[in-house]
Amino acid sequence: MAIPLVPQLLRAHLAELAENDQRHDGRARWDSRETELELGVLQNAEGSAKVRMGDTIVYAGVKFQIMTPYPDRPNQGGLMCSAEIRPVAGRNWEPGPPSPESIELGRVVDRGIRESGCIDVDDLCIIPGEKAWQVILDLFAISDDGNLFDAFALAGIAALKTAMLPEVKFEMSDADRPLPVSKTPTMCSYHKVGGRFVYDADGKEELGGDERIHITLGDDGHVHSLQKGLKGIFTADEFAEIMEHAQGRCEELRQMILRAEG
Amino acid sequence: MGGYGDVQMIDENGLRVDGRGPADLRPVSIETGVIPVADGSARVTWGSNHAVAAVYGPMEAHPRKIQRQDRAVLDVRYNMAPFSTTDRMRPGFNRRSREISKVTADALESVVLLEMYPRSKIRIEIEILTAEAGTRCVGLTAASVALAHAGIPMTDMVVSVASGKINDVVVCDLNKEEDNYGEADLPMGILPNTGELVFLQMDGDLSPAEFQEAWDYNMEAALVVHQIMVDALKGGDA
Repeated sequence: MAIPLVPQLLRAHLAELAENDQRHDGRARWDSRETELELGVLQNAEGSAKVRMGDTIVYAGVKFQIMTPYPDRPNQGGLMCSAEIRPVAGRNWEPGPPSPESIELGRVVDRGIRESGCIDVDDLCIIPGEKAWQVILDLFAISDDGNLFDAFALAGIAALKTAMLPEVKFEMSDADRPLPVSKTPTMCSYHKVGGRFVYDADGKEELGGDERIHITLGDDGHVHSLQKGLKGIFTADEFAEIMEHAQGRCEELRQMILRAEG
Repeated sequence: MGGYGDVQMIDENGLRVDGRGPADLRPVSIETGVIPVADGSARVTWGSNHAVAAVYGPMEAHPRKIQRQDRAVLDVRYNMAPFSTTDRMRPGFNRRSREISKVTADALESVVLLEMYPRSKIRIEIEILTAEAGTRCVGLTAASVALAHAGIPMTDMVVSVASGKINDVVVCDLNKEEDNYGEADLPMGILPNTGELVFLQMDGDLSPAEFQEAWDYNMEAALVVHQIMVDALKGGDA
């Protein structure tokens, strides 16, 4: 990603708003943008979802491959999660090999899903030591107006929950079966803008903000992944405050997925 | 072309595997403004194909060595998303996508009034989200609508369609099975207001008469798709 010039005027403007507990688009500190989730939107994917958060739009698609299990885990399949932010998504995204930003995005989302244990990797084994399913979750942004992390995490787990193992195509049985996904981990991201953390920063707030913190919580409220990104210092009190908000908001997002599944 | 000429793809009533007659297009729908952060954008669904295109610019061309003193340069990228195909597509450029990016740029450079923006660059990004035969045509069509949506001046919009031959029958707008097993494929990029061409490829085997028939199918289909493009642009942003 090309690092855009950070306009000092924007930073000053955001700081001034923050002093009055305001945000540039009129939201309150913990408000999200309007969030929409659609399932089953990609015809050639075995599971898919589209998420729109304000002007940020992402897709997640699940594909399956047959892999040889790792020698130390002969009875397990695998999960691979990769994020691709192609130049279609915004004027600062450039073509070429994956940027550090997109690698970080993919890995943080991957950890939240993997560590929640929502996918039973033992169930993905076909022939121990020889054949297993590899689940590939591809996260793909078409419009980046900030907070790709939460959009990817939401689309990613929703796509996995709708995925069907293509057993017919691979000539293993007469019917495809749902990928067993037992949990619904969700992520909340916070950006420091004008000296205080806000939830669901948009592109302008990311541009004129400082460090960010990403929290993935499981169904029981347990923490599954954390990530602090970019330059900045935060206090234990600040972290406690956003963690408290994340406990509520992650549950709301989980309910949104469950409602969409119907 | 696969060259599996013995696969029966036209039934006794002359209908194709998806129920179309030889001259019929797949359903096409177009929507503009689907990528809010872009200067212009479009989504085209065409049969099961699903493509989005974004336009950024005109903007400063850098590095400076790519600048042209008398005109803008087009930076066109065609790409298939990893989940767009039946088997996962490994991310990154390959020879096929590079060639399609190039011929798409060649087509669009023929219509965009580049001399209006010297020393600048216009970025055109085409992403195939679901592929079902004819993605280069769908991508080029989407890019044309996105350019118009961005307000970039052009002499005409390019409409792209591919006709071909299956079981010795010339058919309009090949679908996936026909593309895989057919005997010929003729994609064209047409300027609907004049009937001129800016993009042409072909592979397979066509007699002069069959070639003419496929050509005529493309010309007729271009007018139908052009009307859908115009309607989408007049309808404003979604």
